[in-house]
Amino acid sequence: MGDFLHSFFDIHQILAVLPSLLGEGLRNTLIIASLALILGLVVGLLLAMLLISTRWWLRMPARVYVDVFRGLPAIVTVSLIGIGLPSAGVRLFGQSPMGYAILAVGLINAAYIAEIFRSGIQSVPPGQAEAGRSLGMSHLSTQLLVVVPQGIRNVLPALANQFIVAVKESSLVYLLGLAVGERELYFIAQQAQSISYNSSSFVAAGLVYIVFTVPLTHLVNWFDKRLREGRRPASGGGGPAATPQPLIPVGATGFEAGA
Amino acid sequence: MNQVSTSPQAPDEAKADVPAIELVDICKSFGLVEVLKGVSATVARGETVCLIGASGSGKSTLLRCVNLLSPPTSGTIRLHGQTITDPKVDLNAVRSRTGMVFQHFNLFQHKSAVDNIALALRRVRKMSREQARERALQQLDKVGLRALASARPSHLSGGQQQRVAIARSLAMEPDIMLFDEATSALDPELVKGVLDVMRDLATSSGMTMMVVTHEMNFAREVADRVLFVDSGVIAEEGPARQLLTDPRTPRLKSFLSQVL
Repeated sequence: MGDFLHSFFDIHQILAVLPSLLGEGLRNTLIIASLALILGLVVGLLLAMLLISTRWWLRMPARVYVDVFRGLPAIVTVSLIGIGLPSAGVRLFGQSPMGYAILAVGLINAAYIAEIFRSGIQSVPPGQAEAGRSLGMSHLSTQLLVVVPQGIRNVLPALANQFIVAVKESSLVYLLGLAVGERELYFIAQQAQSISYNSSSFVAAGLVYIVFTVPLTHLVNWFDKRLREGRRPASGGGGPAATPQPLIPVGATGFEAGA
Repeated sequence: MNQVSTSPQAPDEAKADVPAIELVDICKSFGLVEVLKGVSATVARGETVCLIGASGSGKSTLLRCVNLLSPPTSGTIRLHGQTITDPKVDLNAVRSRTGMVFQHFNLFQHKSAVDNIALALRRVRKMSREQARERALQQLDKVGLRALASARPSHLSGGQQQRVAIARSLAMEPDIMLFDEATSALDPELVKGVLDVMRDLATSSGMTMMVVTHEMNFAREVADRVLFVDSGVIAEEGPARQLLTDPRTPRLKSFLSQVL
């Protein structure tokens, strides 16, 4: 039993690896996750706009992208981009695997974020777009100024959650062989374990992930709850303001977005 | 129909005589369901016309055809002589002069009352931020809601939301206003405030109005003419008082006996 505990909770091993986990590891994990999230948001919003297009030839490429990247295990995508691209001579980021890591995690995230945005945008009642169009606003400015801002608000918690996913997925880039200084949490733990044959460094890395992700999860939940409650009218009374927006109006199905 | 009134080239047709709204043989299907079956109607400048009829009769769909929010499957629509069913027409420009008020208000939920009104003024009328805000506040003043300019829609009652929505349409200085069951979603005590705004618009500003409504008293008092829509056609039309007190068709008789 002592051996069992020792192989997971060797305090000396943990203390030894902790400084580089908290310094180099956490920093790089957050850099990879943040930049991947930003890339995911930009590509994801673009994909979402295509996914809701009324034109099939705009919708279809986006649908294929989303299906493929959601269908592949993340490790396959990371390998294809991080190992495949450089060995095929596509050296976008020189020798640094960090860039490929961000690209791979970002492109995976884009597929999930596209679906989050799409559902958010489609949850906005059609009457909102109709009001914009009836005032003479173009399809594009109605989408950008009326529909998308409300859709994003609806899915902010889901987007924040996607950041947590990106933090965890960033561990997959260890297989690209990061150089010293570029190592993220898992890679540091894995290297320490390969020297000591003791799993305590994994436990230490796990703790750092958890200390970061668990409070973030609860923060997101709190934010989500506040957002939902904020939707109700402050001045109760149960007046018509409490009526949820439509109730798809008669004939809404005939609304031609491009008209 | 006689030839003179349908031909735009008619020499003796003065500009003022061109109807504000001209619907010619409008048909509209949703999939296999034929909702409008060849509706023709005209609304003169400054006239208020109420559309009445049972739910599902097609009256809302007809109204939504007028600004092509729901484009007709076939037929011709002319607004002030301009054929807007022509694909070459700049629909955004047409719609910016044709206000529409919805049953569920459809205020932009993420914007305050004043910003709801200012948005299209800035984007469509290309006003500066200050100009748009100034005009928006004036319009709110007219519907008695200036004090609530910075309130979000979710903090307004249904009646207040609908008055903001009317102000939003009027701020664009439209030639025509379309009302789609503007009071149907309101609590009874809030209906009057909205109807008062509509009544004022019809009587003192001379706005051309097409109003889908279940408010028979409003139709009787305010409308110049009433169209009774039944199963996708105009089953009866005439001056408001006459049509509502002395219906000729059995269908309208039975409809009125149910709603009055």
